Amino acid sequence: MDTTVLEITGLRVSVEKKEIIKGMDLSVREGEVHIVFGPNGSGKSTLLNAILQLPGYSIDAGEIRVKSKNIKDMTTDEIANLGIGMSFQHPPKIKGVTLRNFLNVINRSEDLDDEIRALSMEDFLERELNVGFSGGELKRAEVLKLYAQSPDLLLIDEPESGVDIENIAVISKAINRILQKETPMKLRERSALIITHTGHILNHIEADIGHVFMDGKIICTGNPKVIMEDIKKHGFSGCAECIKAQKDHT
Amino acid sequence: MNHLDDATKVTLKKVAYDENQERSASFLATDWDILDTHSAVEGIEILPIKTALKKYKWLEKLFFTLVPKDKDEYVEQVASSDVLLGYFIRIKAGQKVALPVHTCYMINSESFTQCTHNIVIAEEDSELHLINGCVADAHIASGYHLGVTEYFIKKGATVTSTMIHSWGKEIEVYPRSAAHVGKNAKFVSNYVALGSVKKLQMDPLAVIEEGGLGEFYSVIYAPENSRFDIGSTVVLNGDGASSEIISRVVSNGGEVTTRGKINGKHPNGRGQMACNGLLLSEKGYIHAIPELVGHDPRLELSHEASVGMISKDELAYLMAAGIEEERAKSLIIEGFLDLKIPSLPEYLQRQINAIIKETKEFETM
Repeated sequence: MDTTVLEITGLRVSVEKKEIIKGMDLSVREGEVHIVFGPNGSGKSTLLNAILQLPGYSIDAGEIRVKSKNIKDMTTDEIANLGIGMSFQHPPKIKGVTLRNFLNVINRSEDLDDEIRALSMEDFLERELNVGFSGGELKRAEVLKLYAQSPDLLLIDEPESGVDIENIAVISKAINRILQKETPMKLRERSALIITHTGHILNHIEADIGHVFMDGKIICTGNPKVIMEDIKKHGFSGCAECIKAQKDHT
Repeated sequence: MNHLDDATKVTLKKVAYDENQERSASFLATDWDILDTHSAVEGIEILPIKTALKKYKWLEKLFFTLVPKDKDEYVEQVASSDVLLGYFIRIKAGQKVALPVHTCYMINSESFTQCTHNIVIAEEDSELHLINGCVADAHIASGYHLGVTEYFIKKGATVTSTMIHSWGKEIEVYPRSAAHVGKNAKFVSNYVALGSVKKLQMDPLAVIEEGGLGEFYSVIYAPENSRFDIGSTVVLNGDGASSEIISRVVSNGGEVTTRGKINGKHPNGRGQMACNGLLLSEKGYIHAIPELVGHDPRLELSHEASVGMISKDELAYLMAAGIEEERAKSLIIEGFLDLKIPSLPEYLQRQINAIIKETKEFETM
């Protein structure tokens, strides 16, 4: 049985006619957590935004399949309803729409109130969505949104950016709950594609596969912790040199 | 009270006039007929204006003192009307009544011109909450509503007045109201119109004395072929007088001019204005005209205005959570029109928000 949740082949994406993703392949199977490392401005967020067909992201070549369905002619909500949820790095402020109202519209979970308490978001329910939220509060609200949506594939954009250590721990625990990390691997149904440029999130969330994304392409795939150690030692420039050396060798 | 048929009850509910809702007093008139005038509390007196004029000789002297007879052709028409229709509401000194007074005018006959004249008096240190509905029966193709309301709010008193309109495509409406807000008194005026009207034009005036407060909140949803020209004018007439004018307008093809004017004449006055408009269609327009006039260097007056379409980022964000586009637009519009009035009692705020939720029927595109 094909358990592929996300299949990307030969993908090229441009923003305002500038090519950002320059041909990439990626496959995420049920229960897998992928982490994508890459320097700022390398196009990592573009990948997530293209998967959801957000406005301004043009797929010029290749295809994205979610649960075998080509999303080419689908709208953002239709793609989301295939079972995709995204935690935005910079969610917009939506005046007048309260967090409670928003959650009521999207909720598919049965124990949202418990998660609201676990993320200490009780006092934010009557607040306007993302208006006046601190960095940590924004991320907590985004993760709460994911919990409510209960998606099969989580797209998480820079979960640790602008967040203090305490909040990273709280957010990571919640992501692990969504990803059913307490159950054995074989029984896990949810997958994730996590974008990071610092990699700190790996201290809290166990990833199965790591990728290095540079210059619009995935240039390296492997054990996420090993990749992380290499990046710590040599930086992303070390990754570029490593790939160059491999090419020269062949 | 006369028996109302079910269809009329449904029509009246559009503007929050519900027989079953708890209230301190009520007044209901259709065309020229007054169907109900009664008060359930001792501190509030409510009478047909004609009866009140007979009872209180001094009342005549108040007529047209805040809204001059010669202000415009519509006031002149009210002043010269053969029939004197209207209500007189007085809350006695020191009485604070939390339950609102509900009033309602309904046009029930074809091509009817309804002229009304209301007087509201809040004596010293009293507190009064009014919910005023104005509606035309669904079968009415055309008509006029011309209404004069004069509010006399004495020292230390508080009056909130929430006006909810639901007219029709061929009805023209020209309310003319003015308030004198005494020393340390408070007047909060809310206006809600969420449906079609051929033309609605009004620019209520409030003169605020020392330490007094005047707040105007408007929520308008203008569908195609409707024309609104609404504004509020505030004169800060005493030391430390303050005012806030907030309008939220959604045009879905309707033509809307939204005005606000704060005229500061004395030291330490404060005035804030915000006119925000959301355009849903390429038809129609929103023209925001905020005006500030300062006559004293110790005044603090400011305004902000914005007119635009629904933010693509906000829409995409909601859709990325699986919300269908039309529903996402409705959520944003509902949020935009959500009335938050800090000076209203919480229960009244909840009630008004429930009314807005019940009465609005958005067609987002």
